[in-house]
Amino acid sequence: MPGEGRQDEAACAGRRIRAGSEISMEIRIKNIRKHFRSGGQVIKALDDVSLTIPANRIFTLLGPSGCGKTTLLRCIVGLESPDAGEIEIGGEIVWSHAKSIHVPTEKRGLGMVFQTYAIWPHMDVFNNVAYPLQTRRLPRDVMRSKVAAALQFVQLEGFEDRPATNLSGGQQQRVALARALVAEPKVILFDEPLSNLDAKLREETRKELRTFLSELQITAVYVTHDRIEALALSDTVAVMNSGRIIETGAPREIYFNSTHRFVTDFIGRTNLIEATVISQQDTLTMVDCILGNVACRKRSDLKPGDAVTLCLRPEFIRLQHGDGLHFQNVFNGRIQSLVFIGEAFEGEIAVNGTQLFIKTAPDSDMRVGERVHFTVDPDRCLLVTE
Amino acid sequence: MAHKRSVLTPTLIGIVGFLTVCPVVMLVFGSFSTGLGAFGKFTVDKYVQAYGNPELLGIIANTATFVLGSAMVATGLALLLVYLNTRTDIPFKFLFGIISVIPMMIPHILFSVSWVLLLNPSNGLINLFLRDVFGMPDAVINIYSLPGMILVEGLLDLPIAYLILAPAMASFDVALEESSRVCGGTTLRTLLRITLPVLRPAILAAFILTLVRSLASFAVPSVIGMPGRIYVLATYIYQSIATGFAADFGKAAAIGMSVLATSITLIYLYRHLTSESEKYVTISGRGYRPSIIQLKGARYPLFGVVGILSLVLIVLPVVVLFYTSLVPYSMVPSARAFSMMSWKHWIEVIHDPISLLSLKNSVFLGVVGASIGVMLSVFVAYAIVKVRSYASGILESLSFLSFSFPGIVIGVGFMWFFVRTPLYATIWALLIGYVATYLPYGVRPLASAFIQVHSHLEESSRVCGAGAFTTMRRIVIPLLIPGIVSAWILMASMFVRELTLSVVLSRPGSEVLAVQILRFAEDGLWGQLSALGIMMIFISTALVLAATLVGIWLKPVAGSA
Repeated sequence: MPGEGRQDEAACAGRRIRAGSEISMEIRIKNIRKHFRSGGQVIKALDDVSLTIPANRIFTLLGPSGCGKTTLLRCIVGLESPDAGEIEIGGEIVWSHAKSIHVPTEKRGLGMVFQTYAIWPHMDVFNNVAYPLQTRRLPRDVMRSKVAAALQFVQLEGFEDRPATNLSGGQQQRVALARALVAEPKVILFDEPLSNLDAKLREETRKELRTFLSELQITAVYVTHDRIEALALSDTVAVMNSGRIIETGAPREIYFNSTHRFVTDFIGRTNLIEATVISQQDTLTMVDCILGNVACRKRSDLKPGDAVTLCLRPEFIRLQHGDGLHFQNVFNGRIQSLVFIGEAFEGEIAVNGTQLFIKTAPDSDMRVGERVHFTVDPDRCLLVTE
Repeated sequence: MAHKRSVLTPTLIGIVGFLTVCPVVMLVFGSFSTGLGAFGKFTVDKYVQAYGNPELLGIIANTATFVLGSAMVATGLALLLVYLNTRTDIPFKFLFGIISVIPMMIPHILFSVSWVLLLNPSNGLINLFLRDVFGMPDAVINIYSLPGMILVEGLLDLPIAYLILAPAMASFDVALEESSRVCGGTTLRTLLRITLPVLRPAILAAFILTLVRSLASFAVPSVIGMPGRIYVLATYIYQSIATGFAADFGKAAAIGMSVLATSITLIYLYRHLTSESEKYVTISGRGYRPSIIQLKGARYPLFGVVGILSLVLIVLPVVVLFYTSLVPYSMVPSARAFSMMSWKHWIEVIHDPISLLSLKNSVFLGVVGASIGVMLSVFVAYAIVKVRSYASGILESLSFLSFSFPGIVIGVGFMWFFVRTPLYATIWALLIGYVATYLPYGVRPLASAFIQVHSHLEESSRVCGAGAFTTMRRIVIPLLIPGIVSAWILMASMFVRELTLSVVLSRPGSEVLAVQILRFAEDGLWGQLSALGIMMIFISTALVLAATLVGIWLKPVAGSA
């Protein structure tokens, strides 16, 4: 683990890498459309996507595979051409269908870390990292010092002469990062960079990446299908599905305050219960569902009689022994199953003929078959619609 | 079971070792003795005689030019085709698959002959055409030259280079190129700095294998080189053993030694490179579909190049042969030529006892030889893939060794052996020689078939209660059938057209098709040659079709048994 001094050093190296780029690099995407034809069917990879990616923030595109997130990233970097729309990076239009502007990938001055890292196997680490500088025809000594700084930043000092085939997965990932950063790009893009690492290394690398990126003050666009990665890394998350952006917001907003059924379902394990709005109150919205009447987080855009979905996360269902008092948001049930997974008990309870996923503390003394009651904070009862 | 295995590998080492090492040892002994049939006392006379000849220097220079030139043509063209096929939006991609397979069906000697018929200086069809239609002087293009030989050999070796490069290009991670583009590399820089260097081991492997093939090539040097008095080592060896009364097998062996040494060195270099290229395999992810390069305006011109190439490789040889077999003598296609067409040459061939005998012998060698070869290959592949002991490692090296055997040189070695056995001048001598020389072509498809039969498949059959025999019948054999069929096809089609080994081992009574065609070529009997050649292509194709059908027929039977 890097100590205090180490972090200062890294921050210093980071500043050195970033020296001379003070313009803010916002990415504006306007009405981007991209359709693929496959076997007579048209697949809408991107269906009229508009998006503003704020400068100097970590922005994540999150979604299931095939949702269009990688296609969007590839359109930004220029490896894919959209069918319509406009892309602007730092005030410069790099792609516009209407204005027939198409800045090729190599002229966009971006950095990218690929899913497979794309470390060139026939070169050593130095040449891999120096490549972006070589294409810009920098003098040799400048190149050497910049490569050294980039390698120091990713904690691979002295690895210059290592053959690329002689690196572990985690090291390849760092070399890829160093290569993406060395030419001081305006924007850095990540295409599922952690998916090839094993679980433990993935967690460590995720933390490091977060540290690296916050030191750099750089616009980062990150593509992943892993919700934990997205929540842990980003300043802003955009959840995508079927070529559309469903919702954009800070990780907590997405988790606690989403209004979309797809988003709540994708962002974590959840109980989705069909419900009908009964009434709007000052700070609550009341709904009726199979559990009975439930007081929920206020959604003022709903009218009584509207069909909604109630989203109850297992971690917010607080179990207690025995039957409870008849009170707001208190429900009785019976434990049907409990599975010990180490950090918690996961299980199901039967309530009014339906089943709910629950999660409770690992040292809980609950038993299968026991009658229990639970309460949920109205603020944690999300009402979501399509 | 364990006991059986321990017997299997040594037995196979014995058989394969005899087949591969025996001709080499005999060649070595032969090169140090006075003459065929009499080993006599040890002498270096033949070496002094062979290497003291000032002529040899020119021949080595010719050989080097021919071999390097044709390897460059083959590898360069293959690289272009593979790139266009896998990475661009060129139309009619199915043609590429055809180009890579068809030349295996057209025997090299016929391909060479068809080029002679088109471009020979005295009555080549294209030369006649240029003279008659454009009023150009006689013999504008002379195929009987080094460039002519290089061109034809290059086209012949193109498929082998293609087959090596295609999988390398297909498994190439496109992200390597894309990340170069993101880093600011232009298309050209990406090609030169990334794509070609990453493919380098595969390119070198293709180049080296085509070097070995053209070094061993006899069809082109004999049909195109010899009439133009351009000798390479293969034809030089042939000349020293084929000149009737003064055949000098000792000298042939002495020269053959250096050809064999070169060839073996190259093959080991090839093996080293292919293992090197495996190291270049990087982490592969889910993989994005490779981006296809839009050729735009160049799309159809480039397709034109491919189209012409496939025309030249596939259609032209067959058409020219068929045409020549029908016209009485070489003439440009015209109304007059068509009016003079007849089956005369075909009837002559059918009535020629030697041609008939060679037909019969070649079919026999194709069917019986391939069957024996495949049987041996099944056991060898099993020992190599499944037994995996030190001994099976030896077996693998041994069975790979014959991959580097130049047919004519190894034929000289076998000659030394057969001459003191009753097999001499029989068809069995050819059969043994064929199996020995072409064993790798049977072992390789079967080895990959065995690799696919993962040991878990066998083990789970055993766990389900099936015995070793049932497991073999229900699980292993059905999974092997595609491998067996392709090995049989490969061996049978090679045996039917075999030339280089046969030219040494075939004696009166054991003539084979390719040798008979060579005789026709030497005598300038192009009409008969073409008729017999077409028959040869038919036999080859019929065997391939038959084997494919048997494979299709066997599959459901084995599955439902």
